[in-house]
Amino acid sequence: MSIEEKKTGAQPEGQDGQQMALDDERRVKVLSPGAMVAKRFFRNKLAMAGVIILVIMFIFSFIGGAISPYGESQIFEDYEEVVSNFAGATINTDYRYTEAYSGSLPTTARTSMILAVNNGETTYEAGENTYQLTEIGEHCYVISGTATVAQADRLAGSYVLSSDAIEVSDDLTAAFNDAMNSGATTFTYDGVEYTITGSGRTYYISAMQELGFATQEIIEADGLSYEAKKEALLALLNGETSFSADGTNYTVELDDETAIIFSGSEEVGAISPYSIQGIESGTVISTELRAQIIEAIANDTSSFTVTDAEGNEVEYEVVRENTRYTIRTASSTRLIQTYLAPSTSHWLGTDGAGMDILTRLMYGGRISLLIGFVVVILETIIGVVLGGIAGYFGKWVDMLVMRIVDIFYCIPTWPILIILGAVMDSYQIGARVRIYFMMIVLAVLGWPFIARIVRGQILSLREQEFMVAAEATGISVSRRIFRHLVPNVIPQLIVQCTMALGGIILTESTMSFLGIGVKFPYASWGNIISSVSNVFVMTNYWYCWIPAGFCILLTVLGFNFVGDGLRDAFDPKMKR
Amino acid sequence: MSEQEKTSVQTADDILLEVRDLKKYFPIKGGLFNSVVGQVRAVDGISFKLKRGTTMGLVGESGCGKSTAGRTILRLLERTSGEILFNGTDIGTLSKKQLRAIRPKLQIIFQDPYSSLSPRLPVGEIIGEAVREHGIVAKEDYDEYLDTIMNECGLQPFHKDRYPHEFSGGQRQRICIARALALNPSFVVCDEPVSALDVSIQAQIINLLKDLQREHNLTYLFISHDLSVVEHISDTIGVMYLGNLVETGAKEDIFRNPLHPYTQALFSAIPMPDPDVKMNRVILEGSIPSPANPPAGCKFHTRCRYCMEKCGKEEPATYEVEPGHTVTCHLYADGNKKLPELPPQNTNAASAAD
Repeated sequence: MSIEEKKTGAQPEGQDGQQMALDDERRVKVLSPGAMVAKRFFRNKLAMAGVIILVIMFIFSFIGGAISPYGESQIFEDYEEVVSNFAGATINTDYRYTEAYSGSLPTTARTSMILAVNNGETTYEAGENTYQLTEIGEHCYVISGTATVAQADRLAGSYVLSSDAIEVSDDLTAAFNDAMNSGATTFTYDGVEYTITGSGRTYYISAMQELGFATQEIIEADGLSYEAKKEALLALLNGETSFSADGTNYTVELDDETAIIFSGSEEVGAISPYSIQGIESGTVISTELRAQIIEAIANDTSSFTVTDAEGNEVEYEVVRENTRYTIRTASSTRLIQTYLAPSTSHWLGTDGAGMDILTRLMYGGRISLLIGFVVVILETIIGVVLGGIAGYFGKWVDMLVMRIVDIFYCIPTWPILIILGAVMDSYQIGARVRIYFMMIVLAVLGWPFIARIVRGQILSLREQEFMVAAEATGISVSRRIFRHLVPNVIPQLIVQCTMALGGIILTESTMSFLGIGVKFPYASWGNIISSVSNVFVMTNYWYCWIPAGFCILLTVLGFNFVGDGLRDAFDPKMKR
Repeated sequence: MSEQEKTSVQTADDILLEVRDLKKYFPIKGGLFNSVVGQVRAVDGISFKLKRGTTMGLVGESGCGKSTAGRTILRLLERTSGEILFNGTDIGTLSKKQLRAIRPKLQIIFQDPYSSLSPRLPVGEIIGEAVREHGIVAKEDYDEYLDTIMNECGLQPFHKDRYPHEFSGGQRQRICIARALALNPSFVVCDEPVSALDVSIQAQIINLLKDLQREHNLTYLFISHDLSVVEHISDTIGVMYLGNLVETGAKEDIFRNPLHPYTQALFSAIPMPDPDVKMNRVILEGSIPSPANPPAGCKFHTRCRYCMEKCGKEEPATYEVEPGHTVTCHLYADGNKKLPELPPQNTNAASAAD
């Protein structure tokens, strides 16, 4: 209302003629108190800045979350080729046994052998058997022993021999039968002395037999027979470049301590002092790969390429540390993209858990603002009802309500919040229910100030003459309360609630920061900041926490500006 | 009781309001358990009759209980004892429902036109709210009725949509009057309606009130401490001192022949618009005693120039000195018709006392 209009409004006093001329056409718009407030509010630059901030924050939080292509708790991963340790190779110092046939060297034979070797003995006994050691090279022994080689069953007056270990020839059978007939317990056939044990229908024939060999060399040749392995070892020991076994000719590529065995051009095995094991348990290292590794070690090459089962060429690299060789290869690894710097796909980068910070901020804003509003609405409902009752009815009701308010003011808020947070932790309450609890707790702890304001306002308004006038005109009580009392309380209430909103958002952020508020998977500005738990993150990954802090700052500032603006606008003395 | 009522209706059918020994005490609470430790005797037994269509001026200094009396009569405050007979019905005994029904007949205009209008309602709503609430006129006539009432009170129809803050004090008081008048009352308490207004506007409002009284046959209880205003508007006058009505009578009688020493002192303070006239002022010494602890005997004796021995001991009776002119003072016990002359006060002492 301009000054001129004011004059026209205030001027006519009883001068009827003049007054009649002041019709509606000459007046500009009549402003209700609400419109006046709005006008004053919109003229307040700071308040408008606050409104703009809040509108932006709301759009950012509520619409931004819907627009964002990422989910609230979506974790970004990447498969990356990372050169990692694949296998280790060390010089072996344990004896490895190669059996002539399955079960020929029982465990007792193996352990006793080491003892015998250490003692320099060439024969030793283990269990009921006697074993003989024949050194064929350094740390290479052929183990022989008396072993049952055949079984003789009496059939139709003569014995029939059967055996897994030796070839049963008619001559051998005849020699056995001769021995049996002569009552001898030993017989010699083809230069080998056999001993006969047993009785009745079944006899066992034992003989000195090659049972296997023990060596510290590691023979990687699954496809080769015992004979071939032994020949290969002998070839290595003797420095021969070829051998034949089982009717096949093999060539050996010798290099110092190792030997690579070829059958034709195919690599069929390798002998080396190196024990090769995968770094991760369960890694399968094929014979070919082993051979390649040994070859690489032998040749002192630092890398080689192997074609794997799927036909891909995999490059390996060999690193030597003293006596240990590490074979490294590039493998595909799942990587969580933590602390990514801002980029076009992640405008504010990602946080320590690999989630998009901008998206988290949007969802966090939703929760922070929602908590703020819900808590303020709950506070207002409780505060207005209790404060209104206290103010309107006065006397003992007022006394009672105000004492309750006093008690609530005495409750130390933070210890209660922290304890409740811990209790919810121990009961493992879900993240969503936690938010609801948090809203209720904050509202229950926060209503007294609204009750006080409402009560004070109503107490003072109740004594205003317009309330007496309303009573004198005989208007009903409910109408007096809702038409005359409440509209006069609302301005104060709106101002206080707006101011309180900022405070609640701060409280919520602090709680979430301390880990007693909103929890993963839900985002809140507070728990986004709480990911910054050390100086390193704080100084190196500014984009993790500055934006969230900025959001809190802006929102609280916005609410305070709007609150101040509303207070100035509602105050009739503030005529800007 | 019912017999009494009947007789009062029969004997004086033109008497609209009769107040009999009305008392209003406010309890003073204190002590540990908020017990009543004393009472403020704001209205301590007043009685008067008010004829239909007349105005009674209630005068007295600040704090003497004028406003309390006005509000107690309208039952905006609950009386302590006494009867308020409005058209023969005791307002004090009505139930809330009955009271609400009778409210429109008894209206009040307040002193402060700023605080007596709800700031968040438009003027039309302020005036018309109760009209609709009580169904004073039919719905279809409502707008027209409102315009008529506003016009009568010197307001324009387009003022309806405005809010109180857009009006000056005088106009606000017109709104207050319109609010009271719209309910078609028969009795209006005017609680110092002009004391917050400047002099030129006072006259307009007083004239408006007089015009309305003539047109609507209204009965006013006009509470004021401004004697010139009271003289202008009243038919009868009641002088109050510390909760008591010390003198009542027709306006002419009281102005011509003030009987009570307090009335004399009060009237001597009316300013004369002539600088040459030597004012014979009676200066009251000391201040008004506390109504919580009023003096024994005649309440005025602590400040009375005519104070006698028995004034401090006995409460004076009410004497009808002239027809319709009553006074409550020991001076008239022996049939005095006039206040005895006393030597004029020492002006020096008076100014010192000021």
